[in-house]
Amino acid sequence: MTQILIQGLLLSGLYALIAIGFTMIFSVGRVLNLAYGAYLMLGGYTYFWVAQTMHMPKPIGIAAAIGIGALAGVAMHRLIVRPLHSDPVAVEISTLILAVIIQAGIVLVFNDAPKVLHPIVDGVWRVGGATVTFNILTATVASWVILFALYHFVRKTHVGRAISAVSMDIKGAALSGVNPDRINMITWAISGALGAIAGVFFASYTQLSPSMWVSPLIIAVAVVIVGGIGSIIGTLIVAHIIGFMEIISTTLIAAELRGVFTMLLIIVVLVLLPRGLFGRGEL
Amino acid sequence: MTSTINWRHLLLWAVFLGGLALMPQFVTRGTLRTFIFANYLAIFAMSWDVLSGRTGYVSFGHPFLIGIGAYTSAILSYRFHVPVGWSIPIAVATTMIGGTLFFLPALRIRGSYFALVTLAFMELMYQLVQVIRPDLTGGTRGISGVQTLLRGAVNNYYLSLGLMGVIAILLWSMMRTRLGTALSAIGMNEEAVEGSGLNTTKLKLFAFMVGAAVAGIGGAFYVHYLGSIAPRALFDVNFLFTIIVAALLGGASTIIGPMLGAFFLTFLLEYLRPLLPGAERYFIYGLIALLLYMYEPRGLYELFHRGRARIFGGRA
Amino acid sequence: MTFILELEHVVKRFGGLVATNDMTFAVYKGESLGLIGPNGAGKTTIFSLIMGEHKVDSGSIRLHGEELTGLPTHKRIRRGIARTYQVPRPFADMDVLANIEVGLMPDSLIEMLVSPFDHAEGRAIARSVGLAEADLHRDPAELSMGDLRKLELARTLATRPEVMLLDEVFAGLTSGEIAQISGLLKEKRQDGLTYVIVSHDLRSLEPLIDRAIAMTQGTFVCAGSYQEVMNDKAVRMAYLGH
Repeated sequence: MTQILIQGLLLSGLYALIAIGFTMIFSVGRVLNLAYGAYLMLGGYTYFWVAQTMHMPKPIGIAAAIGIGALAGVAMHRLIVRPLHSDPVAVEISTLILAVIIQAGIVLVFNDAPKVLHPIVDGVWRVGGATVTFNILTATVASWVILFALYHFVRKTHVGRAISAVSMDIKGAALSGVNPDRINMITWAISGALGAIAGVFFASYTQLSPSMWVSPLIIAVAVVIVGGIGSIIGTLIVAHIIGFMEIISTTLIAAELRGVFTMLLIIVVLVLLPRGLFGRGEL
Repeated sequence: MTSTINWRHLLLWAVFLGGLALMPQFVTRGTLRTFIFANYLAIFAMSWDVLSGRTGYVSFGHPFLIGIGAYTSAILSYRFHVPVGWSIPIAVATTMIGGTLFFLPALRIRGSYFALVTLAFMELMYQLVQVIRPDLTGGTRGISGVQTLLRGAVNNYYLSLGLMGVIAILLWSMMRTRLGTALSAIGMNEEAVEGSGLNTTKLKLFAFMVGAAVAGIGGAFYVHYLGSIAPRALFDVNFLFTIIVAALLGGASTIIGPMLGAFFLTFLLEYLRPLLPGAERYFIYGLIALLLYMYEPRGLYELFHRGRARIFGGRA
Repeated sequence: MTFILELEHVVKRFGGLVATNDMTFAVYKGESLGLIGPNGAGKTTIFSLIMGEHKVDSGSIRLHGEELTGLPTHKRIRRGIARTYQVPRPFADMDVLANIEVGLMPDSLIEMLVSPFDHAEGRAIARSVGLAEADLHRDPAELSMGDLRKLELARTLATRPEVMLLDEVFAGLTSGEIAQISGLLKEKRQDGLTYVIVSHDLRSLEPLIDRAIAMTQGTFVCAGSYQEVMNDKAVRMAYLGH
């Protein structure tokens, strides 16, 4: 029981971090970025290269991952989303193609053998029969800190409020002097950076492989669909529903069923409640 | 949009299919295997196009349908020794039932959400196939030693070409009727089709059934050509990508387009093989697909059309 | 005179907003009725409710005395009612003639497969709304706004409606085009067509209608001749604020 509780909390924190960048883009840009999983992959591999191949300090690896992620976000916005005028289906198809290109690119540079990241923080912690690695604990804590910071960024700062305004009403925001295109680009950069940092933690939790982008993408999609779009709080709640569902089904039923309930949840919610559990919120 | 089918069309079909029928005289057995794959890919891409290219309900879960066809026939013939003459029709019928499942979300949602549900269907199938009754599905490893219909590349080539040709001509004739026009109209403005007094639910269901039937036929025959089946090869984003890109690259909402796309892709991959031996080929191939999709969403078909117009003057 | 279309206590809410608040009115057979009201009065919503694009929360909508609520849109069209839209959205990748022919199609899969295209009828309808022969094989994107409205009318007329709901048919047109469309509508009335027209362009609307109904905030205000309605205190209040 304690084990389920602890594992569930840890996994859910990570999932919230994975989903938040994807949610932001959907909320602000009204498009689904199916190459979002590729940010995680880019982040993970960048960290791997800097910290484990070049043996530079870990913080530099994390910083590099964030930089690459943000850069990838801006590039996607400039090169794909803008030329397609944010047409949702066209963006969805192009970003799917892009994800496959990035996957092939990763194979080209790093070959397709899975790679193991050393824990970002070493050590384990034993509580009531459960073993918690400091690594996953750090990931969860970092996830909470990042989400908390993001929440305040959106509420308190000028850029954050502009992002929030664009997500609610593009025309209204434009009329009040916000440049939606610039805000969009900033959001894509933040989304890329969040994806990349989530990727570092996700990879240290599982492993690096060129096909690692699919499952976090599905998780992010599930969170957006089940939570309705946009809200940080909604993302947190749904990430916990999905995280706990996974832990419960793997420990109590069968490990192979890990993703089945997530998929069923997506289908059921989309078919029965197309607006999500919490309706359409704002960021 | 003219409806009359004249001798020129028939001549073009005869030249196209006749030309392909002569291939075994000119190419090696290895290349012929590539052609066989291209034929099946063309069938899958045409199936995707009936459902998604026309009605605009973009399916990201097409391997789900193909997989139902392939698995049903493979399990029936391998585990229960059902003759292939029965297992394939049953597989096609089962795929059509799967198509109805696909159709349910289309009643309520469309656009990007619909694409996501279908993607979820595919991933769900991938996981379920490994977990539920692995004694039947062969679990992660899949099934090998499935009965093959014919031996030899040449025979299999003619079988796949025949299937592709028959499906293409049937779909082409269907698309030239009022029904075909109505299906395309749904993709352009569904409300206006309903507002013209047509039952769009019925039309969409029809498109889904035809798309599923073609996917089922393709999947079932393909598994009896390969002789084996595995979940990762089938319910996979890369496979999905190959199908969608073939249809889009060639030109969605046409019949010849998905076929062109399938051949183009298969040969691109084949010619890149000496340069890039592994999965990296997808890098180049993806880039070409992405650029073409972004700058000429109507695909190669449109490029050819325009090229022809430039040479002969005027638009055909 | 008999009623062809009747609305009785029709209510529609979107969330907390009451878009249609207990509307009751009827349209005589063969008449031309103007539906007027300020922006956001809920005129277009009424059209959507009559066509079944939105479901009514309560109330009754009858055509020829037969209940329409509960029927899907395409069935209502087959009963003899059709609408046009403020913003025409033709089938972009089909030429003008093919666009019109969608309205001529039978609603049966088998018939759609076997029956030939009715090009002659499509041409005749195109001609009757004043589309030039040369336009028939153009893409809709090449048409002027006036011709787009004509195309929309043609596709709608192809379904052989007895009642047509016209939503802002004059929006975005030049005065010459307005005169053309007005002439066309008058001509079609001779053939027995019944109209309900929504328009902001009251000057163009006036000569086309026999009677007007004013509404604001989803609620019926008054009905009568155009002059009567425009002189009504409540209408002046809603429109002009005094």
